[in-house]
Amino acid sequence: MKHVIGWIDRRFPLTAFVKHELTEYPTPRNLSFWWNFGSLAGIVLVIQIITGIFLAMHYKPDASLAFDSVEHIMREVNYGWLIRFMHSTGASAFFAMIFIHMARTLYYGSYRAPRELMWWTGQVLLLLLMATAFMGYLLPWGQMSYWGAQVITSLFGAVPFLGDEMVIWLRGDFTVGNATLTRFFALHYLLPFIIVAAVIIHLVALHAVRSSNPSGINLKDKNNIPFHPYFTVKDLFGISVFFTVYSYFVFFNPNLLIEADNYIPANPMQTPAHIVPEWYFLPFYAILRAVPDLVGGVIAMALSVMIFAAMPYLDRSKIPGGARYRPIFRIMFYLFMLDILVLGYVGAHPPEGFLVPLGQIATFFYFAAFAFLRFFSKWEDKWLFNRGLPAEVQAMLSSEQAQKTDRRHHKKDRRETPGDNHND
Amino acid sequence: MADDENPPIDENRRDFILNTTTSVVAGAGIATACWPFISSMNPSSDVLSKATSEASLKGIEPGEMKTVPWQGKPVFILHRTKKQITSMETSDGGKDPQADAERVQNPDWLVLVGICTHLGCVPARKKEGWFCPCHGSVYDNSGRVLTGPAPRNLELPPYEFVSSEKIIIGKTEKPPIKS
Amino acid sequence: MIKQVVLVCLILSTACFNIFLATIIFVTTSFATTNNHPLENIVFSQDPASLQRGAMIYYDVCRICHSMKYIRYKTLQEIGLSNKQIDTLRGDKPENSTPEKTTSDHMLSTLYGQVPPDLSLMAKARKHGPQYIYTLLTSYTENEGKYENPVFPGIKMPDAMNIAVAINESSKEEIKNQAKDVTEFLLWASDPRASIRKKIGLYVIIYFSILSILLYFVMKRVWSRLDNVES
Repeated sequence: MKHVIGWIDRRFPLTAFVKHELTEYPTPRNLSFWWNFGSLAGIVLVIQIITGIFLAMHYKPDASLAFDSVEHIMREVNYGWLIRFMHSTGASAFFAMIFIHMARTLYYGSYRAPRELMWWTGQVLLLLLMATAFMGYLLPWGQMSYWGAQVITSLFGAVPFLGDEMVIWLRGDFTVGNATLTRFFALHYLLPFIIVAAVIIHLVALHAVRSSNPSGINLKDKNNIPFHPYFTVKDLFGISVFFTVYSYFVFFNPNLLIEADNYIPANPMQTPAHIVPEWYFLPFYAILRAVPDLVGGVIAMALSVMIFAAMPYLDRSKIPGGARYRPIFRIMFYLFMLDILVLGYVGAHPPEGFLVPLGQIATFFYFAAFAFLRFFSKWEDKWLFNRGLPAEVQAMLSSEQAQKTDRRHHKKDRRETPGDNHND
Repeated sequence: MADDENPPIDENRRDFILNTTTSVVAGAGIATACWPFISSMNPSSDVLSKATSEASLKGIEPGEMKTVPWQGKPVFILHRTKKQITSMETSDGGKDPQADAERVQNPDWLVLVGICTHLGCVPARKKEGWFCPCHGSVYDNSGRVLTGPAPRNLELPPYEFVSSEKIIIGKTEKPPIKS
Repeated sequence: MIKQVVLVCLILSTACFNIFLATIIFVTTSFATTNNHPLENIVFSQDPASLQRGAMIYYDVCRICHSMKYIRYKTLQEIGLSNKQIDTLRGDKPENSTPEKTTSDHMLSTLYGQVPPDLSLMAKARKHGPQYIYTLLTSYTENEGKYENPVFPGIKMPDAMNIAVAINESSKEEIKNQAKDVTEFLLWASDPRASIRKKIGLYVIIYFSILSILLYFVMKRVWSRLDNVES
């Protein structure tokens, strides 16, 4: 065994890699269970890819066969029901893990410097995940699948000048049809592997900047512990607990999140009485509907996802981290979560009565929260500085200051080095 | 999970038992989890249910042949005439000698897998037996190879007369409870 | 000591979460409504005798207008029908054929204006499917020789179970039992793997609970190495 590893090590830095990235990778000791959700999202990605590949062995991406082939998987293929329900439940689990992972990032301010690139690669991952989930949802070719795809592809009609052509180009047909199904299948198979690549980039970025931690303060070396065995076992424990809950949904309530209408084969001649997207799109769907104009609605919806990317710039606070030392930020965070729940509720119900203004108010608060952050992060700082900061934050701020001057000196030194100044 | 390189301060027997149990339980779980995926690649229950085929003998006149599918393969059912039966019973075939009585349950009915034992083509019906169009093997009215490259006689499927007019081709076992 | 308390809390909170979910599901199903009418809230047992009676009622009554294209005759073995019974049902159709309606599509569209839907997935294709089907079957009333369904106004389907013209309470009860049987059968047909799924699921959840507890202790042991290290 040692021989083999030695042979490899002379050609590929295997031992060094494992040592650097796993066994000795320094991780903040004080990470809470909220830091488990990244690895959980990773394990769900693995579940989705494995079950997806096995489903693809039996699925037929053809408008006349797709629905029947899913029923064939559910009834005739050995354990086909298990693989299918793992995949359909896994889609929801994926979003649940990603949303909690994002909420944690927001709460603890993990998006702040120097982790902007992690936050943005995460954003790209979210968009890829949404695209993959949306395309995958068409594949069972039920009524909800069909009309969901019809509505969402229609949104591209809001693109100026090219809108109508673009909708037809996306569908390869005048309505969602056979061509749409086949291309969605092709892309639904491809995108997960692009997600894997993006996850690797996300992790490379993580290992460059290291994990944030609940205090938001960059920890001294003595507060970091090796990833293995402490966090491997903690992640394994998290995964096992996750599987307990996940199994409940897969085995006892797999249809909870599948709309009844999706067990009716797609019928282009008849729209179901009440179309709803999957739960994970509901808040965004509510924002889309809150704006009475199609183009405006589409822009608002796109913005509602993309605006997270601006977080590192909107949050101007000098106090490290997120909610831990910042009471106003904390209140805002909870209000924002509540607002998302309200939007989700509005999105799930037909736009009638008080739900219309409620959706509009919630949409307004959604964007207002971001806009407001820019200003209140400064006020909050002022208020907190006047009130006096806890000792550890003060210590941190002064050490950061010291680091900054240190770095400036470094830069100066480098500038003075001949041959290194060709860019300046 | 055992960390051999940095022996923990209070390593003891209990830790070892705990770690081993956990590893064994987790390993057993992973191994079990593979099974549904492997199993899903086996024939599905609708395919398995084609393991047996029913064939009605009604309407096949003496001298006529009917082809029915069984597990995706052609099965020849030949209603032999008295003359054919006597001529077959007096011969032992050619390259792969076998008595006619060993090849039929009821001398009136010959049931064969219609796949040439040479390279898998489907032989064509001729008056005195079958002729394989691919490489010219010739079989008699008992499905025994007479000339040509085929090494063996035509294969006999398992079958059973459920009534005088109906046979079931294939092994009639109770299918296992499906999952 | 603290370890045990944490563990107990963990298990309790998982249990609470599951109870919470179950309650939500129970509450949402028990107030199930359609067209502002409450649905009959009955519990389905999937008992084999009831399934078999239901299959027969489907075969004799519903099959006149409704096919079941995902149920092969042979699969009726799974609800306990014998091969002989299945042979009688299918007649000279192959074992792997599925029940087809006995009236032609053309005739049905002239009579009702549309072709009645396939029933294989009906119990899943409606919200609160089984309650929906049972309520639909049992809420017909007769009005001057014409059938009506106050819960589903304008429905094209006639009073298949003849509940509107039941002569007395006991025959009405009888019809309700039959409606329950056929609903049980349709519920089975919409998800034939449900019983094995729950059976396996129980073991899977027990397995992961045990594994979680084991990993919890492993984690505590591993992390306890840090206790002596100053933080």
